[in-house]
Amino acid sequence: MVAVAQHPHIKVYTLAEVDAVNGYIGNFSVTIRRRAKYVDWNKCTGCGTCETKCPNKKIPNEFDLGLGTRTAIHKVFAQSVPNKPVIDAQHCRMLQSGKCGVCTKVCPTQAIDFEDRDELVTEAVGAIVMATGFDQFDWASKYGEYGYGRFPDVISGLQFERLVNASGPTGGKIKRPSDHEIPNRVAFIKCVGSRDDTKGKSYCSRACCMYTAKHAMQVVDKIPGGEAYVFYMDVRTAGKGYEEFYERGVSKGVKYIRGRVSKIYPRGNRLVLKSEDTLLGRPIEVEVDLVVLATAMIPAAGSSEIAKRVGFSTDKDGFFQEAHPKLQPVETFTGGVFLAGACQGPKDIPDTVAQAGAAAVKVCGLFSKSELATQPMVSEVNAARCSGCGLCLPICPYQAIGMQTVRERGHGGTIERRIAAVNEVLCQGCGACVGACRPGALNLKGFTDEQLVAEVDALCL
Amino acid sequence: MKRVGVFVCDCGSNIAGTVDTGLVAEEAAKMPGVAFSTTYKYMCSDPGQELIRKAIAEQGLSQVVVASCSPRMHENTFRKAIAGAGLNPYLFEMVNIREQDSWVHSDREQATRKACDLIRMAVFKVLKNKPLQAGTIPVTRRALVIGGGIAGMQSALDIADAGYDVVLVEREATIGGKMVQLDKTFPTLDCSA
Repeated sequence: MVAVAQHPHIKVYTLAEVDAVNGYIGNFSVTIRRRAKYVDWNKCTGCGTCETKCPNKKIPNEFDLGLGTRTAIHKVFAQSVPNKPVIDAQHCRMLQSGKCGVCTKVCPTQAIDFEDRDELVTEAVGAIVMATGFDQFDWASKYGEYGYGRFPDVISGLQFERLVNASGPTGGKIKRPSDHEIPNRVAFIKCVGSRDDTKGKSYCSRACCMYTAKHAMQVVDKIPGGEAYVFYMDVRTAGKGYEEFYERGVSKGVKYIRGRVSKIYPRGNRLVLKSEDTLLGRPIEVEVDLVVLATAMIPAAGSSEIAKRVGFSTDKDGFFQEAHPKLQPVETFTGGVFLAGACQGPKDIPDTVAQAGAAAVKVCGLFSKSELATQPMVSEVNAARCSGCGLCLPICPYQAIGMQTVRERGHGGTIERRIAAVNEVLCQGCGACVGACRPGALNLKGFTDEQLVAEVDALCL
Repeated sequence: MKRVGVFVCDCGSNIAGTVDTGLVAEEAAKMPGVAFSTTYKYMCSDPGQELIRKAIAEQGLSQVVVASCSPRMHENTFRKAIAGAGLNPYLFEMVNIREQDSWVHSDREQATRKACDLIRMAVFKVLKNKPLQAGTIPVTRRALVIGGGIAGMQSALDIADAGYDVVLVEREATIGGKMVQLDKTFPTLDCSA
């Protein structure tokens, strides 16, 4: 992280989003919206005094997935990069009601700026790497048998990560959210939302088998006398060193039970899991203190919008569509736009790092040339036939057609008229305009009317 | 005088298992403008491409039709091959007799007839093909990375280490993405920050 922030060739915009992308491969113009931070990061030293003094302290912390609290002015987490705070306008008393301003008073460098507004910046780039990642499947809205999120001690794998993380809300001690007791028995349920056509997604999320193996091992390692039960459909350990890692967990005493949990309900201050052990062929019941769900990976919120803005397609699940599943796994159908990580499909860290490297090489390959060859199979306008109706303009999915004025001789003088003009770089050769052109003025090079009629003749004559 | 060469690929048994490629090549030889036709086990392979280049030189071919797989797979391969023999790469047509014929049909006779029809269409078309020239556009050597998680940071670092400028855009107030929420990561169990 720090390596990124300190790299002389990398300019980082945080709290920023891409508003618009214009142009084409080698020549994109990108509009970036820098959202208001209400803190002047040039003045701020990151001392953290404002955070300790902010009176609004009970805001559920998104970073800890609701397991901890934060203040209205806050750093995302203690080691955030850049290590500066922002004000969450929705929870800031000053910004909401105009009464407070404690942070202004305590800030030693006068860095607080309540007048801060969103700012638009434009950057010229030649290539774009999409790395928008994933979000967690919202299990609580779908899985009634797991309590629809009503039981505080049924948590997701990412929440478990926060509990076991030394910088998390419990300082790295695994504690139940309900009563902050250390759980003795922890159950893990895999494939929550993954491989489940009825409630979730048909695909396998690929990373869950392994992080569940890690979580279960941490329960056994960190909690004296701790027991871990993993309910699974299959254990998928396809990766270097993965099977050995899973075996290590089993040898440490993690109990794997092959079966789907059909119901979770409370009994006293514990939770009862009803399932079937499909290897024994009989129903079982396990009473535990904490349940951790391995939820599916889904495309990050806003993925489809950013895909539209940048101008490429998504697949049936909303992940970004690669140009070819085997041969072009990091390319999109849009020239100059590449994919890295879980935005293309669920994947774990090793695969993500490998794909990110591959995308970078594609970008560097593009940059190794001073000029790019365009593909010549593009639309062309026969000026003599074009009536200037403009029907082709809205048809073109690549905004490659505009209008131009031509001067020509006629009716005993020079006349001016408007005709269509194709931008040969933006044109992707789809041919949509050719079908829409009533006077037959548009032709796709390589697929001209003459060529297509010849093909029909070949069959009919 | 236009002289078309037709090259029919067996694709091992992918095509030849269902389509009588020898018969197809014989039929192709009778089509108007066709001066040469042949089959080969893997037309995309090095000897296959060499066969095309040699035929262009020896037979004085002016247009080329390759009947094999989907153009998505090998159109560029064959364009480069014929450009290597000195022909304009757009005086070329590719016929998909695998995905659109041998893989989706089981009746050998009908599949063979369909292959002949598809090739006849391409021969008629290629006779009307004109040489096309690619244009050039400049390149801005600067990359945008959208997302500052593992994937975004890694690709930004790799591009920047190669000496190119990178603009990294992250929605949250910190870079790091989901990674910074994690504790240890498998299989090495090292910290994730």
